[in-house]
Amino acid sequence: MKTMIFSLLIFLLGSSAAFAQLLDEKHIVKLPVETDPTVSFRIFFNVGSQNDPKGKEGLASLTASIMTGGATTQHSYEEILDRLYPMASSISSQIDKEVTVIYGRTHKDNLDDYYALLKAVILSPAFMEADFQREKTNILNYIQKSLRYSQDEELGKETLYEYIFEGTPYAHNEEGHVAGLNSITLDDVKAFYKANFTQSNLTIGIGGGFDDELVEKIRKDFNVLPQGKSSNVDVAKPAAINGFEVKIVEKDANATAISFGFPIDVVRGSREFYALAIATSWLGEHRNSSSHLYQVIREKRGLNYGDYAYIEHFPLGYRRSFPPSNVPRRQQIFQIWIRPVPNEARVFAFRAALRELQMLVDHGMTKETFKLTKNFLKNYTLHYAPTTSARLGYALDDHFYGIEGDHWQIFRSLLDEITLEEVNAALKKHFQYKNVKTVFITSDAAALKDALVNNSPSPIEYESEKPADVLEEDKEISTYPLTVNPENVTIVPVDVLFEGETGS
Amino acid sequence: MRVLLMSFFAVLLTFGGLSANPSSKGFFPYQYETLTLDNGFTALLIPMKGSGLVAYYTIVRTGSRDEWEAGKSGFAHFFEHMMFRGTEKYSADDYEHMLTDMGANNNAYTTDDYTCYYMVIPGDRIDTALDMESDRFQNLSYEEGPFRTEAGAVYGEFRKNRTNPWSVAYEEISNLAFDKHTYKHTTMGFEADIKDMPNGYEYSKSFFQRYYRPENCILLIAGDFEVAETSKKIESFYGDWKSGYVKPQIVAEPEQTGERSKEVIYEGKTLPLIWIAYKSAAFDADNKMIAAASLLGNLAFGQNSDIYKQLVIREQKVQFIGGSFGFNRDPKFYSIRTMVKNEDDLGYVQEQIDKTIEHFKTEPVSEAELNKLKKRNRYSYLMGLDTPNQVASNLARMIALNGSNGIEAVNQLYAAYDDITPEDIRAAAKHFLQNDRRTIITLKGDR
Repeated sequence: MKTMIFSLLIFLLGSSAAFAQLLDEKHIVKLPVETDPTVSFRIFFNVGSQNDPKGKEGLASLTASIMTGGATTQHSYEEILDRLYPMASSISSQIDKEVTVIYGRTHKDNLDDYYALLKAVILSPAFMEADFQREKTNILNYIQKSLRYSQDEELGKETLYEYIFEGTPYAHNEEGHVAGLNSITLDDVKAFYKANFTQSNLTIGIGGGFDDELVEKIRKDFNVLPQGKSSNVDVAKPAAINGFEVKIVEKDANATAISFGFPIDVVRGSREFYALAIATSWLGEHRNSSSHLYQVIREKRGLNYGDYAYIEHFPLGYRRSFPPSNVPRRQQIFQIWIRPVPNEARVFAFRAALRELQMLVDHGMTKETFKLTKNFLKNYTLHYAPTTSARLGYALDDHFYGIEGDHWQIFRSLLDEITLEEVNAALKKHFQYKNVKTVFITSDAAALKDALVNNSPSPIEYESEKPADVLEEDKEISTYPLTVNPENVTIVPVDVLFEGETGS
Repeated sequence: MRVLLMSFFAVLLTFGGLSANPSSKGFFPYQYETLTLDNGFTALLIPMKGSGLVAYYTIVRTGSRDEWEAGKSGFAHFFEHMMFRGTEKYSADDYEHMLTDMGANNNAYTTDDYTCYYMVIPGDRIDTALDMESDRFQNLSYEEGPFRTEAGAVYGEFRKNRTNPWSVAYEEISNLAFDKHTYKHTTMGFEADIKDMPNGYEYSKSFFQRYYRPENCILLIAGDFEVAETSKKIESFYGDWKSGYVKPQIVAEPEQTGERSKEVIYEGKTLPLIWIAYKSAAFDADNKMIAAASLLGNLAFGQNSDIYKQLVIREQKVQFIGGSFGFNRDPKFYSIRTMVKNEDDLGYVQEQIDKTIEHFKTEPVSEAELNKLKKRNRYSYLMGLDTPNQVASNLARMIALNGSNGIEAVNQLYAAYDDITPEDIRAAAKHFLQNDRRTIITLKGDR
């Protein structure tokens, strides 16, 4: 058994632990996998939406979008697509609060041609007016048409982040705000690129079946980037939450999406982080029926499609089973995500999740759940980075967080070390249930506000017969005390979300 | 008694040996074995040594296509949820506990043509998977209470999907394009039927008895396991499963003889959408016309097509455009979908789509463009086979459509691609892209 797990780890993780290294001042993270017939690239810049100037929210995102969705000085965008097409490869960008990554993968057969295109996208983007207009319109359409009106679950999470981080550089969603995007000019984009896509912000990740010659070539090629200055800004420190603070986003919806949470002072790499990761996995492992919240709200009561908990940012969770890499943040939040519930069950579902959080904080994990969750995670963590590209992404994140070694390997080894007492102490230290920000995406906001501020009982009726223990527990859930001051409840129409300045 | 068929490929490739060499005899790059039991149960076994993990897929060749009885649309998907509700041997809680203990990445999904249950687990836990999965497929047992509770979760899933305008457009186009065939409803089902699901407890047992039978299910295992040893265990765990599959009484769709169209108002804001669906043909790996049609969709409307470059990149009239000429058990859709930036351009965009179709019906595509796509398809497929889960996931639909010949069908399809000529593409366009065979949905927001 031990041998089996050991060989498994070698296969999945060994390379990054053994070979990931930084070279010279250029910061190159290598993940060679000789048997991999493909080569993965992740060109990582320490610049993100937190670097957007005030009034230009969305500039970092738009810049990256034009780079990977536009012309270079060598080729028009059409020509780039034409060349990538037979390789079945692409060059994509992903932007988060603190980083931008430009990434792609190709078969070794096409390596030279692919690398030439990738290099040009980063080193010599043309920033054509037509590409600027198209990408800007696409982002605006995403915010104004998709995010606000057809993605309630993501809308709830984005709104929660903005709510918690009001007044900080994290305060606006990565894609930006409508007013900010509309005020951005092509010159702004060019200036942003020049100032931030520099050697000071650069880490190059390369993985798979590459050779040293390619590494040398990359190091030489990327020398043309200016040294520049670090784009680092102070860690976003959100204001303290004053009891229950609630934002109700009003829209015509027959179901209510709910997200709630609060900032936490731990990030990946610390022992306490891994202790909390164990507890959070038990409480709400993403898209997994092992999640306790899932069991309470969905399995026993059939109120929705799933309920999960997080201590790290997990974008687009509605369509992903596992999080992407390269969304590292120095300031994380704890959050619970309740997938859409019928409007009549919205307060009940909120109470049920909050009550579970309280029980976890007050009583901690039990010996049994602790043991089960550790067993679960020893194997389940193997699913997080199964490919070279994903492992490369995590290796770059390790670099960001200053983790020596490999995050997943550390997590697995700590599963044998961390004690139940440690987990429960970390829960008491970092989790709580009294100062929480909550976002509801729902209709009839006034009625919801009344129900919350009046602490009105929220009994629930079912279509089917339920076991006595569930009905008994329902009584406690439906009267679980909510102390919500009316001045702490804000109602906003969906049409104004992501519209103006954020005050950051 | 079992029949063990061994299939060897010219290219002996494991994790590190992907090849896009078109001269390979068999395109699918891994060796596999086919095991067939007397009761009709088939297992396809793909060893991938060194991966450490095993993807364990059970593919039930029943999807929303098989929901032929009135009032029962959406039931295949609903039933998928019920499969997690336990047996006498392992209660739902036991099942959940065992999955958790293994750290399984497990889930299930339902499509128009099949339902797929999967778990990805460490290779040394395959015996547990065999035990759990063979048990629930033969001995599922649940009470009416949990059944009714699960109906609530399904309605929750429906509500979640309804906030997406594409889901609404899909419902509308399916309903309009089909009169008789069960493709008339989506996999989620009609809302009235979903609401009525809590009352279908007795029906659910009949559904299980008719469709969850060994002749209708295929086990696909890819990853780090011993084939010979696992084959013996499969026989032991699944050998007593009683056959008895009852075919659904699906009515063939009459030939569509006129264009159908409808303007749909979406309750909310959205950019306007156009969805054009031509009636397709049932998948047949031997039918060159079907292989040609699947290439046609990409050539005419893919990201390297002239219309994509015109409407998306140069004129910026649409957010995106794409052609999806996929594979189904019965004739369904060859779809062209686009999201238009300005409602005033709907007519113009439709005109450009029509022009493109006319062009492909009259002019053969250039040999160079066709070859680029052939090359792309090969790289795309092979680069998506890195992990056991990817291998199994990529094969699931082909296995659902072709049964135990699913992997061979992949080889046949890619061999057929190699032989497709520009003239074949033109012939496929002429054959399939006739106005009388199409249905058009135009969807606009209501505010």
